[in-house]
Amino acid sequence: MAVLPMSRVNIFGLLKDRKKILETLQRLGVIDVKPFDGGDGFEKIETAVFQARFQKAKAECEQALEILDRYSPEEKSMFSSLMGLERMSSAEYESRIKRRDEILGKASELVRLEKEISDLKAEAINLSSNIEALGPWKALDISMRFSGTKKTSAFLGTFSESYDESALNLYFAESCEKKNALELKENVHFEIVSKSENQTCVMVVCLKELANRCEEILRYMGLVAPVVNVDGKPAEKITEFEKRIKKANEQAEEDKGKILKLSAFRGELKFIVDYFDMRIDKYQVIERLGHSKRVFGLTGYLPKSDTENLAESLTGEVDVAVEFTDADGDDVPVALKNNGFAAPLEGVLETFSLPGRGEVDPTSAMAVFYYFLFGLMLSDAAYGFLMVLLCGFALWKFPRMKQGMKKSLKMFLYCGISTTFWGVMFGGYFGDAIQVIAKTFFDKEIVIRPLWFSPMDEPMRMLVFSLLVGIIHLFAGLGMKFYSLARTKQWKDAIYDVIFWYMLVGGAIVYLLSMQMFVDMASLNFILSPSAGKIAALVAVLGAIGIALTAGRSSKNPAKRLAKGLYELYGVTSYLSDILSYSRLLALGLATGVIANVFNKMGSMFGGGILGAIAFTIVFVVGHTLNIGINLLGAYVHTNRLQFVEFFGKFYDGGGEKYAPFRADTAYFEMENK
Amino acid sequence: MEIMNGLGMAFALLGAAISALLAGIGSAVGVGMAGEAAAGVVTEDPQKFGKVLILQLLPGTQGIYGLLIAFITLSQIGVLGGGGDAISLAEGILYFVACLPMGFVGLWSAKRQARAAVSGIALVAKRPDQMGKAIIFAAMVETYAILALLISILSIVGIPALGL
Repeated sequence: MAVLPMSRVNIFGLLKDRKKILETLQRLGVIDVKPFDGGDGFEKIETAVFQARFQKAKAECEQALEILDRYSPEEKSMFSSLMGLERMSSAEYESRIKRRDEILGKASELVRLEKEISDLKAEAINLSSNIEALGPWKALDISMRFSGTKKTSAFLGTFSESYDESALNLYFAESCEKKNALELKENVHFEIVSKSENQTCVMVVCLKELANRCEEILRYMGLVAPVVNVDGKPAEKITEFEKRIKKANEQAEEDKGKILKLSAFRGELKFIVDYFDMRIDKYQVIERLGHSKRVFGLTGYLPKSDTENLAESLTGEVDVAVEFTDADGDDVPVALKNNGFAAPLEGVLETFSLPGRGEVDPTSAMAVFYYFLFGLMLSDAAYGFLMVLLCGFALWKFPRMKQGMKKSLKMFLYCGISTTFWGVMFGGYFGDAIQVIAKTFFDKEIVIRPLWFSPMDEPMRMLVFSLLVGIIHLFAGLGMKFYSLARTKQWKDAIYDVIFWYMLVGGAIVYLLSMQMFVDMASLNFILSPSAGKIAALVAVLGAIGIALTAGRSSKNPAKRLAKGLYELYGVTSYLSDILSYSRLLALGLATGVIANVFNKMGSMFGGGILGAIAFTIVFVVGHTLNIGINLLGAYVHTNRLQFVEFFGKFYDGGGEKYAPFRADTAYFEMENK
Repeated sequence: MEIMNGLGMAFALLGAAISALLAGIGSAVGVGMAGEAAAGVVTEDPQKFGKVLILQLLPGTQGIYGLLIAFITLSQIGVLGGGGDAISLAEGILYFVACLPMGFVGLWSAKRQARAAVSGIALVAKRPDQMGKAIIFAAMVETYAILALLISILSIVGIPALGL
């Protein structure tokens, strides 16, 4: 129900005890450490170098874990995120820390193996593309680097067309004539190594003295050197490459086997990640300490209730000076404490903003309305019951899930209860599923009466009810403002800023209720007497005058003050839009019901009988799952909106900083204290 | 007179179609836009999937409201479920007009809401802790879709009572 009172703590200890003290503090996890400001003699030290080193080691372990996940994925149940962290005793913790270097070695080993595997794979791919390129040269039974004999020169190359020997000779002769190289004619020999549809691989032999000229002509003819040129007979090279591929693959398999064997160290690796996380946190704290030659000083905030425990744990072990003072300042962090009913909504409040300095914690007031509005928007008894069932089961089955998750599930559990309640009031059970099933399959007309009324049949009644809920919600917001002003005895402000608004808005509403036109429009079955209306109008006018005169009281200049007051009075229009905003309660409530009915109707279109029943079941399950999803999201979003914009707009600013104690904030294990 | 009655039905059906059509188009465009932005965030940080998904879905509600109006209209005029009386031309036009707010406001608000959602996704990408505010920015736009829905519903439900 409130913001926890905080204490400021100063701790002084000897440098030689620093490690021990910090570890104790991390284990206790209660101090939100702030930068130390102890004046002269104390200096800050930089730890960025250490932090970077730890980051690097941690990153290597994380990479190793990733590799393990790729080669031997961990078996995880669907609910692993609900299980919570594995516990680790401090004896186990100590023994694992001793094996730190060994495990880091394993991590580097894993990273090395992974790199080797990818290198080997790249080599195999490279080799097999070479084999492919050598294929057409397979028939060549001399080395590809053969350049000729004493008197002759030889070239290898490919034409990008298909020639046989005679065609090639003819083409060569023609080219020689064109290029005036008649001396070459008859003095060059073509040996076709292989040919396919669009290439011909040839070996050309000519006299050595004609080699240059010949090469020129050949280039003109379009001869290109082979893509791959190996030192040896192509066929032999192909066999050699194949052997190397096989070896590379074997080596890769072997490395893979080694990686799989190393997966036994997964737990240890995870621990090392946690260990470095904790060390990094610790070094970040060290940066905030003040250091003199032999002494260090630490300052921070903690909840008052934890002070005794802290003092005991510290002074028992080492020589240390601990002093507590009342927290007072702008940087005091905010921690909330609420009962089980309201606590689940602390997370929602946090997404808006935590209470600023001196502000009241609005969680409890918000909780009542939150559950109420949420249920009103979803308003289907079966949907609510499902929510209660699922959240309740998860909470019961996985008691060690993370705090944030637990809070969310509890919130939806309470919202589910409210949804069930409103579903019964408005008569929605999977929409009109029961009626539809009875009619389609059993040919019976069943009427399920809502406990109160059906919004689909009487939308105007529901609209009026929604707006009424809105007025109550807004007035409660104003009430919260009154409470927070009264708490600090600002009685005048309470009257000016709250009571006058109550008079104005309340009076105006009562006045409307005495008008025939309004009563007809809202189809109400009562009307207030004209005299009551007159009194209400008078109250409203008094409120309005009050606001006009007082709302600008921060200005000294009377003209400016009045102008400001009138401007504030103009803000009454925002009350109108605020109240109308609650019409979404009707719209979203109807949306749930109508969409549910649409799916029921779609399901029933296949008629009765077995086939009809199967089709109905499919449509029913898919449709209602979809509808729950959509409307759950809608109800969540719009309940938040009504809270944040309409409700908080009346009294709450927020701006508090979250209390973030120095503790073992780990990803895989939960370290036990003793 | 026969033709006139048919025309009334045609107008009413046109209204239902327009409501589902325009609001549906708006939501499809909107959810698509937000989805592109969300996918961009997830390439950088897959952990944010849950958060950006919620923001992506926000402009999707208009399509559902459009469907809702179309459905209520269809069951009022007897296309769904049957058993409705013949609809006069005046009544048909009234249904048509009643469907317009949802159709048009649905279309535009979904598109605009999508832009707010896209910005919200960018906000969540940088500061995941500000999720609540990102949702609120987008939800503010939806208010007007809800108001349109309300007017459409109230009009459609009120038409038979006019006895035209």
